Amino acid sequence: MMVLTLLGHLLIAGGVVLLLLAALGLWRFPDLHTRLHALTKADTAGVALVALGAGLLSGSAATLVPLTLCAVLVAISGATTGHLIARSALDEEHASWRSTRHDSV
Amino acid sequence: MIVFDLMLAAAILVAGWSALSAPDRTGAIAGFLVFGLLVALSWVRLDAPDVALAEAAIGSGLTGALMLRAAGRMAPPAADRVPRAQRAAAALLACGLAGGLAVAVMDLPGATIVYDPLVRADLGQSGVSNPVTAVLLNFRAWDTLLEMAVLLAALVLVAALGPRGTPRPARLGPLYTPFLRIMAPLSVLVAGHLLWLGATAPGGAFQAGAVLCGGLLALYFGGALRPAAVPAGPLWALCAAGVAVFAAAALAAEVLTGTLLAYPDGADKIWILAIEGGLTVSIGATLLLLFTGLRQGGARA
Repeated sequence: MMVLTLLGHLLIAGGVVLLLLAALGLWRFPDLHTRLHALTKADTAGVALVALGAGLLSGSAATLVPLTLCAVLVAISGATTGHLIARSALDEEHASWRSTRHDSV
Repeated sequence: MIVFDLMLAAAILVAGWSALSAPDRTGAIAGFLVFGLLVALSWVRLDAPDVALAEAAIGSGLTGALMLRAAGRMAPPAADRVPRAQRAAAALLACGLAGGLAVAVMDLPGATIVYDPLVRADLGQSGVSNPVTAVLLNFRAWDTLLEMAVLLAALVLVAALGPRGTPRPARLGPLYTPFLRIMAPLSVLVAGHLLWLGATAPGGAFQAGAVLCGGLLALYFGGALRPAAVPAGPLWALCAAGVAVFAAAALAAEVLTGTLLAYPDGADKIWILAIEGGLTVSIGATLLLLFTGLRQGGARA
């Protein structure tokens, strides 16, 4: 039991560090793509670690399983959302690049 | 935990300020979304998980989506800012409202003192063990019936005043379809789970309907669901089903027991679940159509 509690606290601490890094990246990175790079990965991993840690602390499988499923769901939707944001930004960049080229030619 | 609560309260104020002071509409709506999520968290801290679920799903998520949709259709805001006097008047009004609410809350002996024992005393007869569902679908079912009518009226207004036709969503690329294959069935599963859970734990028709609407919206964005291609008649029937089922149940209860919305003894749970099932489908469909709009009339292709 002691081991599980210790492990749970460690996982949550690690998750919080990752979430802080994600927030820091969102705040300090210069453009959309680098910000997404920081946010999608660190955020997903952070949430997963916090969920796993909380599940271990609860000490019951009935809590751990739904929390794990939540983390999986966050991973899937976070990755897809990040992809969609990057995609729409790329589309816009291509559009503006094309229009400038047309203007200059 | 007091430190966390103070930080949460401060964060809510900051989010509210960032929503008000954002230079553009998208930024303001993003601020509003963050604000709603933090408020949902504060409901959790206040031991009101039912309200937290509703706030996160409907208050923040769906309202935010509706706002983004409306912002996309509106002309860009005029360059000159809102007059100072108008801002001052709005601030004064908001402060007055907040002050009035604060006085009302401080002044009352506390609604919990009055209502908690009343609900607790009759909870055993309500057919469900979640006090919130007992109040919404049994003790004060009349209020909920009227709420559904309000939701339907809102849809009628949107259909009457809203834009003609529904916009076709942009293409979202090859990764979106696998995402849909997971999310769409999952939203139905979670909605059913919330609906069933509502009898014993936080959940219920409104939360389930909101989750269902989320799944429907995901399908709509993927191009798999086109409300514009469906004749308006069946859609209206779907949206009116909640009120219809509720009203039919009220009348049936009147016939069976002699009192409006007094369910027959011992069968309360079945009645509540049947009504909530109708409500869930209707809420999901109504919220979706509030977002997409309806095809107008029969003549329009």
